[in-house]
Amino acid sequence: PLVITFVVGVVMALEFFVPHYRFKWLTDELTEWGLILAAAAYVLGILNLLQVNVPKIVRRERDWPYKLLMVVAMVVTLGAGLGQGKDGPVYEWVYKYIFEPLSATMFSLLAFFIASAAFRAFRARNLDAAVLLSAAVLVMLASVPIGEGIPVIGEYLPGIRNWIMDVPNTAARRAIFIGAALGAVATGLRVILGIERSHLGGDA
Amino acid sequence: MTLFAFLERFQRMDPRFVFLGMAVSIIVPMVTPFEFAFQVDERVQALYDEVEELPPGSTVLLSADFDPGSRPELEPFMRANLHHLFRKDVNVVMVTLWETAPRLVFPMLEEVAAYHDLEYGEDYVFLGYKPGVELAIKALGNNIPKAFPSDHEGTDIDDLPLLRGKQKAEDFELLVLISAGHPGTREYVLQIQGQYQLDMVSASTAVSVPDYVPFYKADQLKGLVGGMPGAAQYEKLVFPDGPPEGVQLLATPAVNVLNLGHLYIITLIVLGNIAWVLTRPRGGPATGGRS
Repeated sequence: PLVITFVVGVVMALEFFVPHYRFKWLTDELTEWGLILAAAAYVLGILNLLQVNVPKIVRRERDWPYKLLMVVAMVVTLGAGLGQGKDGPVYEWVYKYIFEPLSATMFSLLAFFIASAAFRAFRARNLDAAVLLSAAVLVMLASVPIGEGIPVIGEYLPGIRNWIMDVPNTAARRAIFIGAALGAVATGLRVILGIERSHLGGDA
Repeated sequence: MTLFAFLERFQRMDPRFVFLGMAVSIIVPMVTPFEFAFQVDERVQALYDEVEELPPGSTVLLSADFDPGSRPELEPFMRANLHHLFRKDVNVVMVTLWETAPRLVFPMLEEVAAYHDLEYGEDYVFLGYKPGVELAIKALGNNIPKAFPSDHEGTDIDDLPLLRGKQKAEDFELLVLISAGHPGTREYVLQIQGQYQLDMVSASTAVSVPDYVPFYKADQLKGLVGGMPGAAQYEKLVFPDGPPEGVQLLATPAVNVLNLGHLYIITLIVLGNIAWVLTRPRGGPATGGRS
């Protein structure tokens, strides 16, 4: 596995520097293999889900009814999709009347919890917190039309928001991106060279 | 009850009252709509201008990467953008990197295409979902026929006239990225924008906009629409005289809910801080209120 990691990693990194068409054919093939493996990962995920949850259901561990419901939902949806196809009536019903409303509901709850959390936690306890709070309030006000309707300051709010986004936010984000990219390069090198072996699992 | 006691109690208010207030601030503008005028942000204007510059007959690659949870923020932009593109005789090839997206986004594409009396395969195509996250994006950049040998219905890509000659991402005049998170805009910019110098615009959820502003400032994104307010601004540009018959604006009426919702949260924050300042002990560490 370490040799495979090294060879594939070096080949894919060299893709940016070797313009020869045969090398491009090789990297295209490796990319396609990767796509196939990514699809196969879904099968592994399903097996893992069953492997983790079925024993807990059998042993009646804590929250086992919810785990049973999850496994049943997975089996029904998978069976409907495989049996009738993605346009089948059962699969469509499950997506339209269970998945869509539940998914939307979970996100809708955020509005209420954010309101409660903001009321409790946003306190200007020191200068840093006061600056953060002020920026947040200004950006929130400027993001909706009602902010622009506020007398005196309303017309300046979009400009203030854009300055916050364009200057301090962009500077901070770029610093984070560059740091993350350097970290990714370092981690990638460690994986390619076999120094980092956590991706192999077990006692590797 | 003294003022001090009231303020102390206010800070420890039962969260259910906060939830109730939020519910009222959401329901009232839905029942009694009102409108506030708003300006169009420069980033939204830039996206609109980028689409306006597309010549008739161009083909756009649209990556619709969102799910039902982020649908309210992104569907308005997607519909307005499709109307904008089709109105200019621009063809659309749509893909998605989110496994829960196809059933959501393809009906939207079909509906808008039907409104403009367009034909599948000639004017628009949906290639479907591709797993692999950044590998899928890389494959889009390098070799589309290999990544998508058929469309979402299994039709061979060679049998789709719109895709003849479209081998990779740089064969498209513009990439439109409608993204609710990962994978999405960031991964497209990282994987293929710089390598192929692609023209890209993006619509994202409002919470992701701060992440993508640096890409806009660096000209890696030619335009950026953020959440529902951005979509409302875009609708204003696409339909300056109001929507034509049969077209419904989604973001413009919904932004009223955001108006009151934001105002409610800001009011809570301000009142909470006033109460905290007035009730905190003097000379000791800052306390008061629940954190």
